[in-house]
Amino acid sequence: MIQQLFGYLSLYIPEVICVILMTTLLVAESTVKDENASRGKIIGYALAVLLVTLGFLFSNLGEAPEHIFHNAITIDPFSTLIKIVMVVGTMGAIFLSYSSKDIYPNLKSEFSIMAVGVLIGGMLLASANNMLTLYLGIETLSILSYVMSSFKRDEASSTEAGMKYALYGGLSAGVALYGISHLYGALGSIQFVEMVAKLPSLQGTSLAIVLVSFVLFFVGIGYKISLFPFHMWTPDVYQGSPIPVTAFFAIVPKMAGLAALIRISMIFFSEVQVLTVSWVGLMIVISAMTMTVGNVTAIGQNSVKRLLAFSSIGHVGLMILGVVVLNDVGIRAILFYGIVYMFMTLIAFYITSHLSDMYGTDSYDVFRGLIYKHPVMAIIMAAVLFSLAGMPPFSGFIAKFNIFSVVIEKKLYGIAIVAAINSVISLYYYVKLAKTMIFGQADGEVKVAGFTPMNQAVIIGLFIPVLFLGIFWEKVMVISGNAVIYIK
Amino acid sequence: MMSLASYLIISLVLFVVGLVVMIARKNIVAILLGIELILNAAALNFVAYSRYVTNNLDGHIFSLFIIVVAAAEAAVGLAIVIRFFQIKETIHIDEATQLRN
Repeated sequence: MIQQLFGYLSLYIPEVICVILMTTLLVAESTVKDENASRGKIIGYALAVLLVTLGFLFSNLGEAPEHIFHNAITIDPFSTLIKIVMVVGTMGAIFLSYSSKDIYPNLKSEFSIMAVGVLIGGMLLASANNMLTLYLGIETLSILSYVMSSFKRDEASSTEAGMKYALYGGLSAGVALYGISHLYGALGSIQFVEMVAKLPSLQGTSLAIVLVSFVLFFVGIGYKISLFPFHMWTPDVYQGSPIPVTAFFAIVPKMAGLAALIRISMIFFSEVQVLTVSWVGLMIVISAMTMTVGNVTAIGQNSVKRLLAFSSIGHVGLMILGVVVLNDVGIRAILFYGIVYMFMTLIAFYITSHLSDMYGTDSYDVFRGLIYKHPVMAIIMAAVLFSLAGMPPFSGFIAKFNIFSVVIEKKLYGIAIVAAINSVISLYYYVKLAKTMIFGQADGEVKVAGFTPMNQAVIIGLFIPVLFLGIFWEKVMVISGNAVIYIK
Repeated sequence: MMSLASYLIISLVLFVVGLVVMIARKNIVAILLGIELILNAAALNFVAYSRYVTNNLDGHIFSLFIIVVAAAEAAVGLAIVIRFFQIKETIHIDEATQLRN
């Protein structure tokens, strides 16, 4: 028994390290005397430990998949890969928080505590194998996110963002929970595997109850990854939160929610005909609406943060098309998209953050004539925008291409056309921003203070994958292809 | 003798009342109360199903977790509402108008 427990723990080292990191950060934050001097050390410590976590995750990637802790948690290559993406995203956000002026100096180490906490919730969600772990994962993720979005506590906008997030989040979690409770009643268990076993025997009323319950349950996850009817909070929260928090929200909770959505879809909806058909239909409609709403609304925006929020809605809408096909190729496409999206989002937010720190606003104007002041940064930003739009030499193209190919392979031509039209729309507003940057008139030769050699080096380092995954994508594609979900 | 149906009806009523409170009331504290009602509807469902249908302990454990998480969520929610009150000096939801298109 004890031996088995230690065997389980050896697969669970990354999460354990994160929990230890969070507690030690909490102690360090509350005991240090000279705050200004030790802040860099605390953040450096957090980054170093996350790097160690990353090492353990990479070593887990090759392990055989297993259910641990009485089937509560699944450690499989799929969840491990999602966790790798989330850890890199967290490291990026923590590094950005160190130089950002958007976070109060005395709250910087608290940012890393909260970020690691959300990361733990995301890890729980990504490898959840029963409804209880799933619910706990969603709530750990959400409750700390509410705090993070109201981090600028002296400003009405940030507090309002946190409040809206908390109210929408509480509502959707409650509705999802109500759905889960009826699923438990109809299927007799909270373990995914045992629930699926009951599905084929359902008939009449109980099948209807299960269908409705799944729709209610979907509200909870759909809200976390901001799918169409539940996306209303996203632009407000993204705009009100400090930029490092926004960058964090665009990556970690989204990837965790996507992981949960993929796992649920793969486990529950490949068995029974009625459920599969209705789920696929629902997902296609929601994906089309999400993409269209995200991209069309992004056109009229004047705040870059809001623009990136709507563009992230559009990207998630495209990503869930990989779920619609319900096979391993679709998952591979989503994972590759997720990896690429993480790097692109981080760069876009890094550059926006340094510019808006300088000018105190995040409207398009801060980008005006960037190419005359910082040519390298302007070119990288333009390349990232083209990559987000899915232009060929960059990795964004390969990511979108994969999604299109799995959808067309399943002969879902209608949704493929909608997705293609949306790509064109998205190109318009990305190019508009690039145009402001390159052809706009600069307001002088003032350099941006945020672009220190260190920060520029990090941005260039993050840009390397965006560029090279567009050309040498086979290796990462093989890794994503190996990351299959372990169900039985 | 109470049957499963009575519990389900009560929990449905709680759920609907919670939703209506969240939509109709303009006071933020009342909206937080609406969330609590919805969470309690789910918890009641879990216990009732556990007692009458499934005969295992999953439901009981789940409802305990719901109570704990609801407390944590209410604490964070109220803290944010207090901050909002200190800045705006009101807890009317229509005053939250800084962020919009």
